[in-house]
Amino acid sequence: MTLEDYRTLFMVGGLLLSLVAAVPGLSVVFSFPEGERFSELWLLGPGHMAEGYPFNVRTGELQGPVYVGVANHLGASQYYVVYVKFRNWTQPLPNVTISRASPLPMLYEFGFFLADGESWEAPVSFVIADAAFEGNISAVAALLINNRHFPVDLSSRWNVEREGFYYQLFFELWRYDVEAQEFRFHDRFVSLWLNMTAV
Amino acid sequence: MSGLRSVAALFVLFVLVSSVSALGAMASAVESEAVSAVEGAEEAVAEAFGAVVEAERAGGNVSELLDRLDFAAAYLATAKMCLRTGEFDGAVGNASLCMGALEGLVDDAAALRANAVTASSARFGMAIGGSVVGVVAVVCGSVVGWRWFKQRHYARALAMKPEVADE
Repeated sequence: MTLEDYRTLFMVGGLLLSLVAAVPGLSVVFSFPEGERFSELWLLGPGHMAEGYPFNVRTGELQGPVYVGVANHLGASQYYVVYVKFRNWTQPLPNVTISRASPLPMLYEFGFFLADGESWEAPVSFVIADAAFEGNISAVAALLINNRHFPVDLSSRWNVEREGFYYQLFFELWRYDVEAQEFRFHDRFVSLWLNMTAV
Repeated sequence: MSGLRSVAALFVLFVLVSSVSALGAMASAVESEAVSAVEGAEEAVAEAFGAVVEAERAGGNVSELLDRLDFAAAYLATAKMCLRTGEFDGAVGNASLCMGALEGLVDDAAALRANAVTASSARFGMAIGGSVVGVVAVVCGSVVGWRWFKQRHYARALAMKPEVADE
């Protein structure tokens, strides 16, 4: 090796060592790319599995518990609210493509805080407390969710295609926007189809 | 006699109407008290969360504050449900529990934020200073090392005995 080769070797080695020494400083000046940021929302059956969900329901019969869960992957602590709503099969669901929550009234609600990377889960049991049938119409007057009574006053026509009186219990995820200082629908919901079978 | 009866009937009617309107006013007062209690609790939770977010952005560990906020949020959710179902006493009670859970939280978050800012500045200074010192040390070391190596290389070259090779 000539002296020129040695000089190049020294220069390259010095440059590499300088870069290593500069890493702590560079890491506080530049931010490195992060993974995708999102929130998870899930609904599990009574066995904590994605099966065995309540479907055929009767008045006064305790259903569940099903488990609703949320995980925060948004890179910072979040304030979430899960609203539980109830509808018949003709009423509107949330529209996630235009970030619009269902206009139906909220019944039960969960409020909680999650640090980044943490998850939360809660059991939900419910009872159709008061229902009636007349011809091709069924009516639900009240619902008990986690032992809390909610008047709903909802009716459903007989669904000819699917042969049943269908209702849906659904869970909307909302997140508190610190900048806007208000809750916003977080474009996620999960639901349970219920078929009222008999009084 | 009939005049006396009429007066008595009117008096009873007056008492009834007064009672009903008084009860209505009381119920309305209880409802508005519940509404304002829940609204107050909502604002307090939002304010506390804002303070916690500031502390977190400054680099503070907010897990303990989030646990306290969680209690407050659970009470607030119950208070709102009570309000929706007309349980105004429950709404006021849970809103009060929510406020209790938030006691001192904003101050704690502000203190944590101040500590985090100080620690973050120190970390920033250490990182930048350490890197600058490191880079300067590497550059000086390389220059000194190169000079030493070059002198040693020349000394070795000069110490070599020249040989005449046959053609």
